[in-house]
Amino acid sequence: MEKIELNNTLPKVFAGREPVPSDVWQCDLAFERGKHYLIVAESGTGKSSLCAYLYGYRVDYTGTMRFDGRDIRTLTIPEWCDVRQRHIAYLPQELRLFPELTAIENVQLKNRLTGHKTENEIRDWFEALGIPDKIDSPVAKLSIGQQQRVAIIRTLCQPAEFILLDEPVSHLDDTNNRIVADLVMAEANRQGASIVATSVGNHLQGEFIVYSL
Amino acid sequence: MLWKLLKTHISASQLIGFSLANLVGLTIVILAVQFFRDVQPVFDDEESFIRKDYLVITRNVTSAGAMMGGTSEFSDQDIADIEAQPWCRSVGRFTSSEFAINATVGLGNSGRAMRTQFFFESIPTDFIDVADADWSFDPSRPDVPVIVSRDYLSLYNFGFAATQGLPRISEGQVGLIPLSFTFSGHGRNEVMSGRIVGFSNRLNTVLVPDEFMHWANDRYGEGNITRPLRLIIEVNSPGDVAIENYMADHHYDVAGDKMNSSKANYFLTVIVSIVIAVGIVISLLSFFVLMLSIYLLLQKNTRKLQDLLLLGYSPSQVARPYMLLVLVINAVVLVLSVILMLTVRLWYLPMLHAFGVSGASIVPAILVGLLIMSLITAGNLLAIRRKVATLWLQ
Repeated sequence: MEKIELNNTLPKVFAGREPVPSDVWQCDLAFERGKHYLIVAESGTGKSSLCAYLYGYRVDYTGTMRFDGRDIRTLTIPEWCDVRQRHIAYLPQELRLFPELTAIENVQLKNRLTGHKTENEIRDWFEALGIPDKIDSPVAKLSIGQQQRVAIIRTLCQPAEFILLDEPVSHLDDTNNRIVADLVMAEANRQGASIVATSVGNHLQGEFIVYSL
Repeated sequence: MLWKLLKTHISASQLIGFSLANLVGLTIVILAVQFFRDVQPVFDDEESFIRKDYLVITRNVTSAGAMMGGTSEFSDQDIADIEAQPWCRSVGRFTSSEFAINATVGLGNSGRAMRTQFFFESIPTDFIDVADADWSFDPSRPDVPVIVSRDYLSLYNFGFAATQGLPRISEGQVGLIPLSFTFSGHGRNEVMSGRIVGFSNRLNTVLVPDEFMHWANDRYGEGNITRPLRLIIEVNSPGDVAIENYMADHHYDVAGDKMNSSKANYFLTVIVSIVIAVGIVISLLSFFVLMLSIYLLLQKNTRKLQDLLLLGYSPSQVARPYMLLVLVINAVVLVLSVILMLTVRLWYLPMLHAFGVSGASIVPAILVGLLIMSLITAGNLLAIRRKVATLWLQ
């Protein structure tokens, strides 16, 4: 996938409201593979909605979104599964980890599906993100910042042309922000993938094309 | 790992409840089917040479009627009326012998012989279901085949032979007994050999082939035209109430217990049908219990299932553990119910042996169980699929 286009899109809940100045909603916009984007938004402006639309689990918007020119409303369920496994990696804001599984099990649940990383590569990431001792801990026992790092590792366990990160560092300090940013950037560059990150305040560090929502 | 994740919220008590209910329902159904098939032969006396859908009727002889000079014969009009009934397929007339018959039975090497006056009747060959190919008569080689009531043999074996010190005779030996008949009438007096070729449970008479009877009546009879005293009727269903009413209205008697056994058979069918219906209702209810249980389970795990879908798992991958669960449970229930059915059958089969029943094949009952279980499983799987499909959009 080389290009994600948005044509005059708007969440249905915003319809009829006073138009707010936005670089995204009701505009024509394209995310191109290889470039990195940061979408800066205030809370409640529809940033998570945008992610949900692009990941196919919500359709309550007007306008058109396209993957390489194809209207994503026409994608079938198997095609969406393929998108989710091999084309767009996604870190939801609410992380969506399984609290009853251990950190490594959460990651493996994704990696088994894609077969993208080896067990050692995954352990190295836990090491790099400073949580090697949490590998076998149930996620429920981890702090929110630790959970966020586990979720980021899981997100990267798949081939992708776009890496969609919804507030990836909201619970991380500057040091860890830098570590995460380097790790994600390295993985993106290795695959020639785009990063599309959102943020309400604590931005992922790095060079981005910035849009405000 | 998927299973570890999805097995939470599985309620063992609900699943056990479903399994027990379905086990009871399914066992009732297949046991009823099996029992019906095992018991059926008691009512369907297939070995009887008069097939099950034949009735033998006579006119009711009352003492008053006899004194009034009433006839016990069937007129052509009577017969035409019976033939016009919707339940009647065909009517056969019993033809009586119109000449004197003496039968002599030699009793082995003892040199003793029994001699008795005798009578013959015949019915059209179509009404006789005898495997014996010798049910024919050729005037050029006179030898008379005879079918007698099985009661006569019992009468001889248990009544006569036992008290008179005579040998008992098996059915197989009967054909070997030298039998000779003396026919007299129309100025003739001739002796002919004969043999017993079969026994009847239901037909209380001595039967000879129709062709012999006509030949003999021509030869020895006085030429009187006689009307039949008994009729054999091929009917659609011997248990039909319409037949019973008709017979009562016309004062006809139906020979033997044919109608009673048909009625018993009818009630057996009704009872078994009710039992099967009850079993199916229980199975259906248990189906809904499982359905509810699975819906509840999917509902409780909605968030997890949606998270898995977001990771790229397909709806069918997510549904698979639940489908496997249903398949395993249903397969176990089916196997258990077949085992239960066979166990109960082991218990009742010895009782049926007294009626000469050795038991029917268990394949149809198992197929019925398999069919019901397949339907239930298909319903379960379909519901899981549909439920998971609704989770796609969040």
